[in-house]
Amino acid sequence: MSAVFPSPDQSPMARGEHSDAAVALLVEAVERADSALGLLRATQALAAAAHPAAAACLVEVLGFNNPGAAVAAVDGLIAIGVPAVGTILTNIDGYNYGARAWAVRALAGIGDVRGLEVLEDALGKDIGPSVRRAAARGLGQIQLEGLPEAERLLVAERCLEALLDGCRDGEWVVRYAVVVGLEALAPAFTARPESQARLRVALQALGDDPAEEAPVVQLRARLAVQRLRCVAATEASDG
Amino acid sequence: MGGSGEPITEEEALRRLRLSDDPSAQYYAAWWLGRNRSRHPEAVPLLQEALRQRRPRDSGAGVEENAVARNAARALGKLGAPAAAAIPDLLATLADDDHGLREAAARALGELRAVESVEPLRRRLATGPAVAGAQQPGTPRLQEPCEALLEALGEIGVAEPEVLAVIQPFVGHERPLIRSAACRALLQLTGEPRWGEQLVELLQHQQLQVRRAALMDLGAAGWRPALEPIAATLAENSLKLIALRGLVENGVPSQSPFPSQSPASGDAATEAVLAAMDALL
Repeated sequence: MSAVFPSPDQSPMARGEHSDAAVALLVEAVERADSALGLLRATQALAAAAHPAAAACLVEVLGFNNPGAAVAAVDGLIAIGVPAVGTILTNIDGYNYGARAWAVRALAGIGDVRGLEVLEDALGKDIGPSVRRAAARGLGQIQLEGLPEAERLLVAERCLEALLDGCRDGEWVVRYAVVVGLEALAPAFTARPESQARLRVALQALGDDPAEEAPVVQLRARLAVQRLRCVAATEASDG
Repeated sequence: MGGSGEPITEEEALRRLRLSDDPSAQYYAAWWLGRNRSRHPEAVPLLQEALRQRRPRDSGAGVEENAVARNAARALGKLGAPAAAAIPDLLATLADDDHGLREAAARALGELRAVESVEPLRRRLATGPAVAGAQQPGTPRLQEPCEALLEALGEIGVAEPEVLAVIQPFVGHERPLIRSAACRALLQLTGEPRWGEQLVELLQHQQLQVRRAALMDLGAAGWRPALEPIAATLAENSLKLIALRGLVENGVPSQSPFPSQSPASGDAATEAVLAAMDALL
């Protein structure tokens, strides 16, 4: 049955060239889908449009308990990017963990600073490990470039605090995601040696913790430490 | 962390496990001791006792038939070396009339890597898919808990020809979950790519349940060539991450043409698995 999964982009039109009417037709196809496979195909087609008008429908698909379609919907929301953030934030489903995890993943992928509070909250408090995991990764990849200098550091510090707390999470996969988040966040602190040091100490501790039950977490933490060391060495030699 | 019920102490779990007239308290206590990998000297003897506890089927009662004994078997499987004393008890349980109890005992023996159980496990499968693997009339169960028996043989790792000869026919079983368990065991025992390739095919199965099982089986076997197919499988990222963790921790690093760039992580192949995991978070 390998032929049942079509390639994601079957749209005859290139990305971004859809008219509102064309998007409405694609949305209708998602709403009409009466099988798991039909939903998957329709969602892939809608996601490929990467059109802001598709956001509401894609967010709805996150709650359908169809992992294939949800993956496509998340990809679509990330492709829409910043214009999708408002729709995602107003529709975060407080009851369905699966849907919440996908929404957090979409916010993490877009990296808009408006998602910061949701990500902090999710990593600190959510019951679902898959939600905390997505949030930890997202806290490492919030787009700081467009922000004013003062706000940039404020946001980065908040991400760092949330991730440092996440180092003690009870689930290996969340600690793994925290490692990835910390590594990605490190460049934000090139001008803040004390924060940079706290970040590295936390990674070092995860890499060396004899009580760590998951060797893969240790391995990933040591890799992160080593990569950051290489970056630091390069910067030092560049003067 | 997590689990049902309020947090309890190890002493409390041991106390509850002694309450033989309160099976639901015992049920939770047995689970607790396994989950928390108890090292208390009383834990194994009490679980051995709970393993002998039988209960007539009472469909009206809240706790299932022999549920305490089943949880005791599962807990023993998680306790590692100290539970070696209970291997004879688990071997006796492997001959119980209760299918679910045989299943739990088989899994525990596999987790404990009990080499002395290989022959009894093999014997229960020896009649092949047509008898041991035949469906019991009136239930969805097979005559034997084939999946658990096969997985245990793979875990224990005794790759004798007579063991392989008994497992191999199950690769043709009508149920994909049994085929997956057989391929996993053969892959663990022989390392032959053909069994890994069959598991990779099952990652494309139309049923999500089968795709999930194949993910877990590839992870358990740590078969590195499955990296990309695992990452591309239509299933929850949580399960793909568990499978990829298995490739890192159980896998033999494949020969890399590149000299090791990173002593911390071992090799470029391991870094490729970690990169795939990063992308699934």
